[in-house]
Amino acid sequence: MERAINRQRILLDHLQPPPSSSAPSPLSASVCLAGDSAAYQRTNVFGDDVVIVAAYRTALCKSKRGGFKDTHADDLLAPVLKALIDKTSLNPSEVGDIVVGTVLAPGSQRASECRMAAFYAGFPETVPVRTVNRQCSSGLQAVADVAAAIRAGFYDIGIGAGLESMTINPMAWEGSVNPKVKIFEQAQNCLLPMGVTSENVASRFGVSRKEQDQAAVESHRRAAAATATGKFKEEIIPVATKIVDPKTGEEKPVTISVDDGIRPNTTLADLGKLKPVFKKDGSTTAGNSSQVSDGAGAVLLAKRSVAEKKGLPILGVFRTFAAVGVDPAIMGVGPAAAIPAAVKAAGLELDDIDLFEINEAFASQFVYCRNKLGLDPEKINVNGGAMAIGHPLGATGARCVATILHEMKRRGKDCRFGVISMCIGTGMGAAAVFERAGHADELSNARVVGTNSLLSKDAR
Amino acid sequence: MPAFKTPFNGYSVKFSPFYENRLAVATAQNFGILGNGRLHVLELSPSAGPSPTPVSELAAYDTADGVYDVAWSESHDNLIVAAIADGSVKLYDLALPPSANPIRSLQEHTREVQSADYNPVRRDSFITSSWDDTIKLWTLDRPTSVRTFKEHAYCVYGAVWNPRHGDVFASSSGDCTVRIWDVREPGSTMIIPAHEFEILSCDWNKYDDCCIVTGSVDKSIKVWDVRSFRVPVSVLNGHRYAVRKVKFSPHRQSLLVSCSYDMSVCLWDYMVEDALVGRYDHHTEFAVGVDMSVLVDGLLASTGWDELVYVWQHGTDPRAP
Repeated sequence: MERAINRQRILLDHLQPPPSSSAPSPLSASVCLAGDSAAYQRTNVFGDDVVIVAAYRTALCKSKRGGFKDTHADDLLAPVLKALIDKTSLNPSEVGDIVVGTVLAPGSQRASECRMAAFYAGFPETVPVRTVNRQCSSGLQAVADVAAAIRAGFYDIGIGAGLESMTINPMAWEGSVNPKVKIFEQAQNCLLPMGVTSENVASRFGVSRKEQDQAAVESHRRAAAATATGKFKEEIIPVATKIVDPKTGEEKPVTISVDDGIRPNTTLADLGKLKPVFKKDGSTTAGNSSQVSDGAGAVLLAKRSVAEKKGLPILGVFRTFAAVGVDPAIMGVGPAAAIPAAVKAAGLELDDIDLFEINEAFASQFVYCRNKLGLDPEKINVNGGAMAIGHPLGATGARCVATILHEMKRRGKDCRFGVISMCIGTGMGAAAVFERAGHADELSNARVVGTNSLLSKDAR
Repeated sequence: MPAFKTPFNGYSVKFSPFYENRLAVATAQNFGILGNGRLHVLELSPSAGPSPTPVSELAAYDTADGVYDVAWSESHDNLIVAAIADGSVKLYDLALPPSANPIRSLQEHTREVQSADYNPVRRDSFITSSWDDTIKLWTLDRPTSVRTFKEHAYCVYGAVWNPRHGDVFASSSGDCTVRIWDVREPGSTMIIPAHEFEILSCDWNKYDDCCIVTGSVDKSIKVWDVRSFRVPVSVLNGHRYAVRKVKFSPHRQSLLVSCSYDMSVCLWDYMVEDALVGRYDHHTEFAVGVDMSVLVDGLLASTGWDELVYVWQHGTDPRAP
């Protein structure tokens, strides 16, 4: 028997020479896509992953009446940019680009304001700044653009941000409309007020007023609970600013650190009394629509290898992003199209997603998307959404990144993948998949099967 | 060309130097790790045109342990030397009835004997190499070995005579060296650290008595000139696992054949840039034995752990019926 073992050893050495020799072993484990019939593609820690180092936001305040009504837009952006640098001790000159999502403000003026905000925040002149506008998903688009640029190798560290002061820049149309628009129904539908598209979604897909009001109540309840338990303290950067008393004209310095649109005691009965705004017999009211707000958010992204080398914290991993177009007349259905696209691109299934942050532009579209995708309400907007917290158009995407990643961090191991999505005016949806840091699949072609139903997920 | 199924796993195959349609196959049970062995002598029916030519078994000899190698005598057309895993070297005479065989069993090696080579110049002697780190020189007229060559520090996987000089042979070992010996000298005359990993096989060029080829666990094949052995003449990469056996062509100076644990048999021309002349993937297990016929140009034979012996003309599909 000893002889047989010896023979085996000698033959085995021919196949896998002992590593004592100078050359490396010819056999090594490697990741492959073939995989087993696992629910999701095996992901691992790779040096070229794009990771989120930090994500912060300002409080969101009601426009014209809230805490930021007398605050310049650049004064909203500068504190969050500064916070990224201060809290990570990163040398600001190492940032390759700052991309700001912004929607309503005049393009060139806002680009200048953002550049100025970078100077206020202490960035050197060498760090470039640009803006991006994909309507309500501009903040998320900014983050995705930075992630794409890092992946492309343009730079290793970048900031994706979002900014909106709806006090200063209300929704408006400048100049005349091209009369040609009448020939193109879809183009004409781009001109529909957002509230009308909400009514279209509600009537076309049969979302009742009660369901919508219910969603609004839940949003306020969750946001109030999150605020009360201090959950938002980790993501909100207090902004020192001023408030002018509209009657006396008296200026008062204040520090804004709490969202001011949340109404903890909102009830179904209260909301039921509100009149529809966009259609006489409609269902979209001020109570079940997103709030008009001011605010900003910023996300610091980096290549993983660089982040690790510099000792930067890693909050999460940016996995995928998708933007998909839909019918402009029912633009609110965007997330129902974009979420599956982004999740699929990540090699995942909807069931694998532990947390969703779906922007509540209107309760109608939010409820529709939730039901359409068959999502568990307990996984969506667990800390409330735009109906309670507010929806500063350009900032919302960046705000959601901060909210979801901090919530995923709190939830720990049970929460691996998170999805952010929003509908986009003129008929689009955007979605992005994030992974909590600290998750890595071992290099293995076998895995522990908890409950064995003897059928793979693929077999369903 | 035909394939022959052996009951055990193939270890070596050799064409007879006397009959173009005869070959000997060494096999071992359970991949040569445990169990018996069997030596087959096969006869290819003389082919008449393209018709299928079946293989018949001329003789088969059972052994108590695996047969790792076989060598035809260069002096007697019926004489075969077999290297046995139990350390013995056995001689078989095809002319005698099975009951009279083996005609001799030489028990001197203390571990597995992996190779046997008959001296083509001085046709009365042969050498065997063993995992006991030694090479032994034998002659037919003596009951014991003439000499033992012990210098290698690990298994000696192969030892082959120089085709011109009856006193010179080369040996390849797991100690990562190839040694050149002259039986008139007390020790090896040359040590070539040819590879970084174990060297499983070597062979002399049949047209250039200074040229040798080595095959290694590092997956490469190297061609050397023993007069300037600091750098190889050529390095042939292409096998995906250890190269088990290398052999120069008896017909073309620059042609050589190799077989590997990657289950393929490859033909190489080491003098041209695109060295890989052909790759045969007919085996479904480790290809461990290969030979080129001296009598028929381009005729190849191979065997492997898939228990199959293939004989085919270069350029044709070994599996073709």
